[in-house]
Amino acid sequence: MTSNYVLFRIAARLFGVKLQGAIEIMAWQRSRAVPLSYSYIEGVMEYRGVIYPVFHLAQLLGFSQPGPIGFTAPQDPGPVKGRSIILLQEGDKSFGITVDSVVKMLPLEDVSAPAADVKGINTKLVRGIRFDDDQEIILLSFERLFHAG
Amino acid sequence: MDLKTRYLIILLQGESFAIPITSLLEITVPRNIQRDPKLSEIFEGKIEYRGTLIPVVNMKKVLKLPGNPGTGLIVIKSSKGVLGLLVDAAKELLETAQKPVPIPRGVLNPSLNYYVGILRNRDHLVLLLNEDGFLP
Repeated sequence: MTSNYVLFRIAARLFGVKLQGAIEIMAWQRSRAVPLSYSYIEGVMEYRGVIYPVFHLAQLLGFSQPGPIGFTAPQDPGPVKGRSIILLQEGDKSFGITVDSVVKMLPLEDVSAPAADVKGINTKLVRGIRFDDDQEIILLSFERLFHAG
Repeated sequence: MDLKTRYLIILLQGESFAIPITSLLEITVPRNIQRDPKLSEIFEGKIEYRGTLIPVVNMKKVLKLPGNPGTGLIVIKSSKGVLGLLVDAAKELLETAQKPVPIPRGVLNPSLNYYVGILRNRDHLVLLLNEDGFLP
C-alpha cells in the first residue's frame, strides 16, 4: 500500500513521517517549556485551540546533547533559516516535531516490518528505510513515545 | 454560564505558573529565613508567619530551574498545612471560566503529579501547579 509521507531534514539526513490526518507546517517558534518534562520535549504549544506537545527531534534521535535533567530542554536556537515545526497526527495522538527543514510530500510504499539498525540514531522510532532518487529516507513513527514511563 | 475561578500568576525564570486563589493566604517578601538541616533540599528553611514557624519551599529547586531562590514569598495553605513558596514575583490575577487542559501525554513521566494542567492567559500558556503533588 502507498501512503503520503512528509519528508524533512535533520542534521543533513532525510526523514519521513506518514500522514495520517491533518498536517500543519509553520516556521519554528518557541514552545512553552514544561519543567521536569522529558529531555527531548521542547514544550507545549497551542494551535487552533488544541495543545500539542513539541518534540525536539534532533535530540530524540540522538543528534544533540540533552540539557540538564529536568530543565527546559533545548535552548532557544534563535531564528534559523528553514527550521520548522510540523504538527501531525498518529492514531489519536497529536504532536509537533521540530525539524531543520521541510523538503516535500511524497507517496511511498508503506513498510510492514521494522528496519534493521540505522547507524547513529535512536532506532526506537525507526519504521523502515525507503529511497527517493538514491537518497535514503528514514521513516519514523512516534507512537511509542506516548507509552513511555 | 460557567463559574469563574481566580488564579494567582507567579513568575519563575520568566515563565508563568498559577495557583488557585483559594489556596492563597498572603503575598509578601521572605524575611529571616531560619535554616533547618533536617528539611529536604527543596526547602530553604522556616519562617515565622502569624506567630508560627512554617516551612519555605524554593520553587526553583522543586522544578529544577536554575537561578537564585527568588525574592517573593507566597504563603499558601495546602493539604499538608501552611507553607511559603519562594518565587521571582507574583504577577497578576487571572479570572477565568476555563477548565485546565491536562498536560498532553508523552511530555512528562506520568508519575510526576506536579501540574493540574494548562491555562491560557491572553497569548501565552500558564502551568497550573498542584501544590499537593510536589510536597514530600
